[in-house]
Amino acid sequence: MEVGFLGLGIMGKAMALNLLRNGFRVTVWNRTLSKCKELVEQGAYVGETPASVINKCKYTIAMLSDPSAALSVVFDKDGVLEQICSGKGYIDMSTVDADTSSKISEAITEKGGYFLEAPVSGSKKPAEDGQLVILAAGEKALYEEMIPAFNVLGKKSFFLGQVGNGAKMKLVVNMIMGCMMSALSEGLSLADRSGLNEQTLLDVLDLGGIANPMFKLKGPAMIQSNYPPAFPLKHQQKDMRLALALGDENAVSMPVAAAANEAFKKARSMGLGDLDFSAVHEV
Amino acid sequence: MAKLSLDRSRLPFSSYLVVSTKSNLRRSSMATPSSFCLPISMSSPRRPTPNPSSRSTFAAVVSSQLSKEATKGVEFQGRVGFLGLGIMGTPMALNLIKAGCDITVWNRTKSKCDHLVNLGAKYESSPAEVASSCNVTFAVLADPESAIDVACGTNGAAKGMGPGKGYVDVSTVDGATSKMINKHIKDAGALFIEAPVSGSKKPAEDGRLIFLAAGDASLYETVAPLLDVMGKSRFYLGEVGNGAAMKLVVNMIMGSMMASFSEGLLLSEKVGLDPNVLVEVVSQGAISAPMYSVKGPSMVNASYPTAFPLKHQQKDLRLALGLAESVSQPIPIAAAANELYKAAKFHGLGDQDFSAVIEALRGKLQRPEH
Repeated sequence: MEVGFLGLGIMGKAMALNLLRNGFRVTVWNRTLSKCKELVEQGAYVGETPASVINKCKYTIAMLSDPSAALSVVFDKDGVLEQICSGKGYIDMSTVDADTSSKISEAITEKGGYFLEAPVSGSKKPAEDGQLVILAAGEKALYEEMIPAFNVLGKKSFFLGQVGNGAKMKLVVNMIMGCMMSALSEGLSLADRSGLNEQTLLDVLDLGGIANPMFKLKGPAMIQSNYPPAFPLKHQQKDMRLALALGDENAVSMPVAAAANEAFKKARSMGLGDLDFSAVHEV
Repeated sequence: MAKLSLDRSRLPFSSYLVVSTKSNLRRSSMATPSSFCLPISMSSPRRPTPNPSSRSTFAAVVSSQLSKEATKGVEFQGRVGFLGLGIMGTPMALNLIKAGCDITVWNRTKSKCDHLVNLGAKYESSPAEVASSCNVTFAVLADPESAIDVACGTNGAAKGMGPGKGYVDVSTVDGATSKMINKHIKDAGALFIEAPVSGSKKPAEDGRLIFLAAGDASLYETVAPLLDVMGKSRFYLGEVGNGAAMKLVVNMIMGSMMASFSEGLLLSEKVGLDPNVLVEVVSQGAISAPMYSVKGPSMVNASYPTAFPLKHQQKDLRLALGLAESVSQPIPIAAAANELYKAAKFHGLGDQDFSAVIEALRGKLQRPEH
């Protein structure tokens, strides 16, 4: 199967490599072309522009960092819209708000193309290991056709209905995740200030009903003030912001998420945006 | 639950080592003809694991476990007092009885003792009488006020304490309360440990609690076999106050997580997603926690069967905020979560499971179903 792949950041690179390793023919594009080099070494082709990738491939996946990048790749000069047409599918796996996704969906389908939003739950390591959780919505037929690729990229895929549902589900999940990370940070700080051993707290947490992989993985590094970026803090704060906006639109009460968002905002203002989101612990 | 069949010719040494650290072997006093569970104490950072360095040592360890099985005994000689037979106290006392312990109970509402008395427990009509007739007395009360009253009040346990006796307070309280109880017990010449637990009703029933103990190290060692009957692991955290603090920190994180999860469920519902699917998506990823998988489905159905009363979760958050204040540590997420539990209490949900906090987020409060 052949796919195009737009965006070779932390996630895109790992995902594209996975597809290559599993026998897919992949044509990549990245804004900074040099990032394509490693993938070319693994057998990928390079497209000079998003439009040229669309031109070449029946299916194209996009993995961009935020709404503005996702829109830019579609609407700008030499963008996706210049070459999208009937028979071609565009699968946007970026995490964006539902409005952005709808905008892209409309533009794609107007030109005769098929669209699927498919944001993922999981960061760098699950991307490398093909263990992502894929939250797809939009064109069901395109979803079915992408299943072979999704099976390589992830451990489980969901089809959630109309465009916007995937985006919303992703934001809700990341909202909970951000709150949990802030809660862990508060716990570690309070334990430390109260004269308790922070690793012992992690050990106790790992034995009970609130044990979870994220605490186990990130906790020890947080104790060491070590935050290697698997999921950049600025993206987590973006997701909190989008989730709160979703809550605002629907008049849903979210005081805990609002408090957590403040912590991530503060961390960004301290210049910690490019560190892993666990760097909220420094606040 | 794993079972080992005791064919010693085939049983490798390594399986014993594996079994004594990370497995889900349950304590069981039932021996079946073909297989049984070794009553092995679960992992603890401070408990040394016997190292079977020779075949005869291994056989000796196994056979001593076997004889323990046969007599249903536990390595504790003496009379155990048990004060407080609520959601937690009852199953804990029950597990001690099943393990063959000599138990004497007391509860403020006497009728709650009946079931255990029918199973062989003795009864005394005050904490003081229980304490004076027992070597070690456990207390499992709902809050600081009850814990102080039972330990230090008129006819309180301290009145029955004396040299050679011990008091183990399993209640979740603030450090100051624990230290006060400690003082009263020590003044009577006895030993004291606080030992709040992580785990609610089901872990209590299954003997899978996590003890967070602090205080007299020698009393801790003495009661360790009893803790191992009621729990799957135990920690000794040093001086009185450390166990209380650790418990409050854990429950603070738990309360915040449940509040956030509630926000997520409600948001997903309001934006046209299926909250059951959210529960499933969460269970697949890095934030998957047993609490979410267990409570999520019932929360979606507005059902909150009480494993951990909401009023106690709010009490724990209040105490955690107090602890944080005492060390000038800002905890805004916990503070926001606390407000939700307070609102839920205000609306009469205090005796529901703490997952009922989701109701505090709804615009119009619905009556929860049972």
